[in-house]
Amino acid sequence: MSSRTRIAITGLGPISSIGIGKDDFWSGLSAGKPNVKKEEVFIDGEPWDSFFLHKVEDFNIHDFGIDEAKLNDIREWKEGEEITDLNYLLAAVKLALDDAGIDYSAGDSGLGLVLAHENIGLMPFGLKISNLAYEILSGKKKLSKKDFFNNLYKSFLKSGYDIQTFADLFHVARVFNIHNYSLFINNACASGLYAFEAGAEIIRNGQAKAVVVAAADNPEIYKYLWFRDLGIYSKSGLVRPFCKDSDGLVFGDGGAGIVLEDMASAKKRRAKIYAEYLGGGFDLEGWKITVPQIGNDSYVKAINKAFKNSKTREADIDLLVPHGVGSQPIDYYEAKAIIATFGNNPKKPLISALKPYVGHNLGSSALLESLVMLLCLNNDTVFPALNYDNPDPKFNIMLNKEKKQVKLKAAMKICCAFAGFNAAAVFRRVS
Amino acid sequence: MSQNLEQEVKELIAGVIGREPEELKSETNFWKDLGVDSIKAIEITVAIERKFKVSVRDEEIPKITTVGQAVAVIKEALEKKPK
Repeated sequence: MSSRTRIAITGLGPISSIGIGKDDFWSGLSAGKPNVKKEEVFIDGEPWDSFFLHKVEDFNIHDFGIDEAKLNDIREWKEGEEITDLNYLLAAVKLALDDAGIDYSAGDSGLGLVLAHENIGLMPFGLKISNLAYEILSGKKKLSKKDFFNNLYKSFLKSGYDIQTFADLFHVARVFNIHNYSLFINNACASGLYAFEAGAEIIRNGQAKAVVVAAADNPEIYKYLWFRDLGIYSKSGLVRPFCKDSDGLVFGDGGAGIVLEDMASAKKRRAKIYAEYLGGGFDLEGWKITVPQIGNDSYVKAINKAFKNSKTREADIDLLVPHGVGSQPIDYYEAKAIIATFGNNPKKPLISALKPYVGHNLGSSALLESLVMLLCLNNDTVFPALNYDNPDPKFNIMLNKEKKQVKLKAAMKICCAFAGFNAAAVFRRVS
Repeated sequence: MSQNLEQEVKELIAGVIGREPEELKSETNFWKDLGVDSIKAIEITVAIERKFKVSVRDEEIPKITTVGQAVAVIKEALEKKPK
């Protein structure tokens, strides 16, 4: 029986409110000045609502050197509409592949592809429905029920297909000559960690030598309205994980691409190896969609499965990046799992909550924050907690308060997502 | 039946939030008057579901702010429960 294939991380492609591309992103993190803006939403010039978000600015899909003919094909399929989520995925994949130094210009790049998103295509589809419904309900169009249904079908044929995720896999794979195993993942906020595991399995199963994993989220009004109505969207615009005065989450914007590769292949081609993906643990609590079950040990189980699968122990972890959304019940649920694993107010690992830097990037959050963690691992750096003026002692954990240069060997990313998707992943620096 | 249910709910909630059942009147708002927060609200929901073998919908959780509302939610859930 052959030994388990080791998985190397060889390419990083972040798109975020504090920087696009690895170097700008690292500068943005080091500066510690999040780009939080208030988004004012208008309909036909009439103010609708407003919400804070960590906003990506100056993003242009044509700045990334992606094949313009293929971008044009996508634009034609989308009937001229630019879909920001898809553009983020394309750009993140391009940045990650370029960072890994993988040539995809040949007929078959030998790559596999895993994409993750919570709600891709939903906003354009929803807006089209809303616009047509308005036309009809406001009396501008008079239609029989049959004509109404026909009209809906014709109007939404394309965008309706595009909320079926295979179309996004198709578009991204086609641009980068990806012809091997591909998969679309949606496990809410934990999608990024599920994507890591899926990508690793594709390589371990011999379906591809390397897999590019990408996720994205572009915040939109409908998403905001849902989180607002759930009572977990911040009015202050400040994400304050594990604090007395936390008032909810603030959306992030952008996405992340990460290249996973067979370790032997990566070493053979002398690729830069950011870390080794040692393994993940996953547990589905299955209680409610929007609320974690305080007192349930599902999250602890996910973390313990990650230790088992990665062959590591609590004492091996130097840096822990929690979900840290800044919502009291979710933070409490998470803190309980952390102290059940590492003890009350643990000195080790250092705990670094990253949403105050980049916002909550929903289905992309776990991947983007893992990417930050991988950069921290490589630079022996832990960033200080932002907005951490009033830590709440009831959580029994303390976030790292100062920027630290400290030797980091292994790091863990954890996430407790909607629907009870609890996940953990362990990474180790490769010497 | 309703009075029994109300008493059971009082005792259950009092146990979760560390109070005496007598402190809870039907209309006492335990968020405003007894310091219940979003964390305790989930613990109350978990206790209700376990004791009465019902499922409380996500959106009902923040609405359970008094014993009376808890009783109403439980009754509705029991009625909807397949026989």
